[in-house]
Amino acid sequence: MIEVQNLYKRYHGPFGGDWVLRNVNFTIPRNVSVGLVGKNGAGKSTLLRIIGGMDVPDRGLVRKDCRVSWPIGLGGGLQGSMTGRQNVKFVARIQGGGHRIPEIIQLVQDFAEIGKAFDQPVKTYSSGMRSRLAFGLSFAFDFDVYISDEATAVGDASFKAKAKKAFRDRVGQSSLIMVSHQTGILKDLCQAGIWINDGEAVWFDDVHDAIKSYHKSIGK
Amino acid sequence: MKTLGTRTPLQVTWNVWEGLFLREAVARLSADRIAWIWLVAEPIAHVALLVWLRTIMGRIKIIPGADFIPWLVVGITLFIMFRNQLNRGMEAINANKSLFAYRQVLPVDTVLIRCGLEGLLSSVVVVLMLFGFSAVGYDMTPHRPLGSLLIWVTVLCFGLGVALILSTAVTIAQELSKFIRMAMFPLYFLSGIMIPVKYFPRELQEYLLYNPVLHGVELIRLGYFEYYRVVDGISYTYLLLWTTVSLTLGFLLQMRFSTRLVAK
Repeated sequence: MIEVQNLYKRYHGPFGGDWVLRNVNFTIPRNVSVGLVGKNGAGKSTLLRIIGGMDVPDRGLVRKDCRVSWPIGLGGGLQGSMTGRQNVKFVARIQGGGHRIPEIIQLVQDFAEIGKAFDQPVKTYSSGMRSRLAFGLSFAFDFDVYISDEATAVGDASFKAKAKKAFRDRVGQSSLIMVSHQTGILKDLCQAGIWINDGEAVWFDDVHDAIKSYHKSIGK
Repeated sequence: MKTLGTRTPLQVTWNVWEGLFLREAVARLSADRIAWIWLVAEPIAHVALLVWLRTIMGRIKIIPGADFIPWLVVGITLFIMFRNQLNRGMEAINANKSLFAYRQVLPVDTVLIRCGLEGLLSSVVVVLMLFGFSAVGYDMTPHRPLGSLLIWVTVLCFGLGVALILSTAVTIAQELSKFIRMAMFPLYFLSGIMIPVKYFPRELQEYLLYNPVLHGVELIRLGYFEYYRVVDGISYTYLLLWTTVSLTLGFLLQMRFSTRLVAK
């Protein structure tokens, strides 16, 4: 279960601006997958980052009693000058999987299918290869809730199918909180929906309703 | 739950340190093609340059109570450790920003690991230098090994403390790094690396003695050479005071700004 209470967030520093999120409240029950919809710049990614513990709200709180992943397919955490293998080892270590590194490496290699490139510096990878590696890395660990920010946008057809299957295989054991503009995948994988509009979040028990409200607001 | 199980906070920290340390070590030693040789080459280059300067200047007479080259080597390696800790530790948080996506990694971890790694590498380098210079005929045996070691460790902690403070400052206001780098430049000359502080006029010495690095450099030489004479006013208590204050302030700042350092 994830509970968000009276959450406010704005960015600081020279380019900081107005409130991005204002008085956001909702509760995600256990094993319910949620799709986040809203315009570009509405605050979807910000909310996701706060739920994932990567950013902190200015006011309010997020209560979690489950293991939440880092954003699936996050390529930013990969060090360009190191090989895919070295990067995988690093993440395995900080996640407390130091004793099962060979197993994790095998899982990632099987998922990513990037062949010899696995032992080459990540900076030589194409964006698709990076994404394959990052995806494989996320799925090598078992979390209760996976968070995903437009993770399926890059990659070829076979990889997309594989990623979708990986999500589906986990239905029942873990749930998903995802941001995507591809409504197809949201309808496929999520039950509930959150529509973010003008810094406020509206909860829908059915993701279809969330998508409908969102489409209505942009006049589609 | 499940395969990973729940870890205690201490275990998480240990795992993060282990991962970060190996990552930093690989990155540091393979940053470019000469990164690993530069560790040893840089202090040797400094010594060579200063010996050459001394021969053309010819004005710095003999160092009372110590051989010139061992005297230089001991001071320079200590100073380079301090400088590297500052320069690299200061940027640790900014350089590892993408890692905070894994919420187990805290800003303070990156600074601690970088400074620890710098300290360890410098310690290996100094041992290599000592053996290297004794192999070519200089007497590099410390007169009070434990005393020298104590100063080495104190300066290592001092560097860590300053890096903790500066990394907070630089991450919150990026512009500050320009001023800090500029301030680092005269430190080399003010710390008595090249010219013994004894040769400066008395009135100037008074001010130079405010610099804690000078105390560290002179104290390690004092521990090293039996008949070495330092300027009046060099004190271990003073260095220790700076170390304690900077470490305390550094950790406090890291705690106070822990969320600001992570947030974008």
